[in-house]
Amino acid sequence: MGNSVSKTLGKIFGSREMKILMLGLDNAGKTTILYKLKLDQIKTFAPTVGFIVETVSYKNVKFNMWDVAGQERLRPLWRHYFPATTALIFVIDSGDIDRLNEAKEELYSIISEKEMENVVLLVWANKQDMKNAKNPREISDFLQLGQNLRNQLWCVIGSNALTGQGLVEGLSWISNNTKGRKN
Amino acid sequence: MSVDILRTTEGIEQHKPLMNEGIGVAAEQTESTKVARNSGPRKSPSAPNFHEKTYAGHSMSEPTLLRNCNGDNLLNLGDNLSFNDRDANLSVINLYDDEVISRQMDDFEDNNDEDSQQNVDSDEGNTPTMSMLQNNCNGSETEHLDRYGFKKQNNFITVEEYNKWWKDYSQYCIRRKHKWKLLLAKSGLPMDNDSPNRFPSRSEKLKRYVRKGIPAEWRGNAWWYFARGQEKLTKNKGLYDKLLQKMDDLLKKKKKKKPMQDLDIIERDLNRTFPDNIHFQRETFQLDEPPMIKSLRRVLVAFSLYNPKIGYCQSMNFLAGLLLLFMDEEKAFWMLVIITSRYLPGVHNVNLEGVNVDQGVLMLCVKEYLPEIWPFIAPLHKRSPINLGNSKYNFGKNEFLYRLPPITLCTASWFMSCFVGVLPIETTLRVWDCLFYEESHFLFKASLAILKLSEQTLLKNRPQRVLRHYSLSNGNYHSKDLRINQDESEMEVFQVIQSFPKHLINPNDIFDKVIFKKRVALNRLDQDEIDRCRKYVTTQRQRYKNYNEIVGSNLHHDDDEINDSNAQKNDLLSNGPQDYGSINNENNEEQISGAASDMKVNSNNRIGNDLVNNALSSEVYGFKKSLSGVHWNNSIKEKVRQMRKKRGKDDDVLL
Repeated sequence: MGNSVSKTLGKIFGSREMKILMLGLDNAGKTTILYKLKLDQIKTFAPTVGFIVETVSYKNVKFNMWDVAGQERLRPLWRHYFPATTALIFVIDSGDIDRLNEAKEELYSIISEKEMENVVLLVWANKQDMKNAKNPREISDFLQLGQNLRNQLWCVIGSNALTGQGLVEGLSWISNNTKGRKN
Repeated sequence: MSVDILRTTEGIEQHKPLMNEGIGVAAEQTESTKVARNSGPRKSPSAPNFHEKTYAGHSMSEPTLLRNCNGDNLLNLGDNLSFNDRDANLSVINLYDDEVISRQMDDFEDNNDEDSQQNVDSDEGNTPTMSMLQNNCNGSETEHLDRYGFKKQNNFITVEEYNKWWKDYSQYCIRRKHKWKLLLAKSGLPMDNDSPNRFPSRSEKLKRYVRKGIPAEWRGNAWWYFARGQEKLTKNKGLYDKLLQKMDDLLKKKKKKKPMQDLDIIERDLNRTFPDNIHFQRETFQLDEPPMIKSLRRVLVAFSLYNPKIGYCQSMNFLAGLLLLFMDEEKAFWMLVIITSRYLPGVHNVNLEGVNVDQGVLMLCVKEYLPEIWPFIAPLHKRSPINLGNSKYNFGKNEFLYRLPPITLCTASWFMSCFVGVLPIETTLRVWDCLFYEESHFLFKASLAILKLSEQTLLKNRPQRVLRHYSLSNGNYHSKDLRINQDESEMEVFQVIQSFPKHLINPNDIFDKVIFKKRVALNRLDQDEIDRCRKYVTTQRQRYKNYNEIVGSNLHHDDDEINDSNAQKNDLLSNGPQDYGSINNENNEEQISGAASDMKVNSNNRIGNDLVNNALSSEVYGFKKSLSGVHWNNSIKEKVRQMRKKRGKDDDVLL
């Protein structure tokens, strides 16, 4: 009986499609990452005030990436768009040591939301090209995800939006770890 | 001290070669900052030939200004300061970029203007003879920039498209300017060396002129005049300088003490405010930051000190940035004060309630004036589809005022930044012209006009959406399918709404196709309506909030329990090898049982529910109608609408 339903879903999922919320403090590099992935284009972007949504295809998976405003004050605007998110991408400016703590707090406040219980969590330790950047391991240790997350799968990947380093790896990790999950 | 606040910028700039062209040594940097700060009213460093006839004289005492005048952009006639002195009209030429014979081409769009007969006495003023400045505008370094220093090209518009459009639009601008000159002359107002300070008194005619565009080089003055900036400035003379003094003191202290939130956030946004505008960009050979960035910092920090309730909110950088292209710092500061208080009250406040109210108002307006668009953006009760019609989530007809449709995430930014970065620059400026003359309702009008224009694209991209929406209300759907479909169509709608405005390179599309069409319903919207509507939405939202506080806490508790069991189930399931089907089935059962238990909760709260529901749903906002303010019954109106559609183009009757 599960068969017929899965067929129906297969039709819908002809190629798989998932909703991804991309979060992080302001100036972490979210929009830059998005357009590097989408258009392979690098430029300085103005701060995102509302949000940007773009579809990025990788293999047979369509990632609907929601890049939302990072500034603390603007966060309430998108808080209620959590439902139906498959994966959460959290972007961290690895070079902004002063704000690592703020980033950590923000990450935990989001991941503990009810709607985030079943997401897979990808952390991009971005701006690895900065000379004072913490490496992914340091970021991972700092975030202490292993100790604190019970439900969610998580992964920290170093990235550099300018070169594209780590981006495809991140998406394929998400893709591999969401197979067979509910959308 | 300024070295300290530059910390973040240096980080960004680190990989750029530090070539020193002899102008940007570190010591001078501090020095010039000081000079700029202490030299009385600050001129906009970038745009002298828009409005500053005294520019040449001033610039001598302000090294920061001179530095920017290296002649490498359209606006700055740095090499040609003497031209500025001799004949301010030359600036016009530069702005229009093309050889034109404006007189002959004049006036076909203003046939009904009484001043088309005035053409006879139109021979005052010099016909621009542009050849001498052509080189300056068409220099290879700047031909990729528009007249404000923005890159012509972006992800949505190519240089070729831009140039093709600009060829016509620049002619249009010259014709309009000529019209404006006539109007001023007729009203006996001085041209003041192509920088008029006073404008005719308000009238339908002037409104039409403003809507057709204020000449670019007059904009600073005109905005200042129409927004009554001088009133504000006169009342608060010297305040801006005091705020800057305070800022200096703070920056000194900052070295020792903990950083201040707003200052840091502002600092992070400065260098990415207009990354594609030459005035806001640091050239590779510039060690010092551009004067524009310095001005922007001062305006934003001064504002955050002036109004701590707002402080700094992203999007204000765009507002201040654009203002600075057209007026000096102090004026830009006061205009920012005016925008954030008079036109967008509460929008930039910490709690953002003003944004939500305005989005509620916009949604009401869409429902009223663009019923054909509404189905695309109406909320689909995403959270609990199974509870549709259940009184638990039924806030009455106006629930969307409280739980705003997702699309408002997109449209909210239209308001917060007054379309800067949303519409192409010339189109944005035309909206700003009207904003300062017609006040905030024009932002709503412009938003509605954009949505109206996007209708075709919406339909093309997802014709099923509307159908889907209506079939939902029958309750015959599979909740899982529903969710997937929602996401899918939501994506499409979002992508259209987010990118459509960026293609509106020609401002006249908005104006000629919508705003100037008297029969288009949304043109009934006026300031009075928006004021009333804002009040209504504010009260409604307050009520929903109270309702939520009274009833919501109890329900939420129950929700948590249900979802918890759901989550556990899912976790168990996803650990083993599973196909979508079985998970899906389990989910549905869970949700159905969830709904059943909701019913129980509901009966407990029935009394409270009914009370509030009654209170909420009994009150529906009534829009003014064109005929003597009668409040029509909505259903009758809809019937009339359909009748009209059937009758085809029966144009002259407006309901």
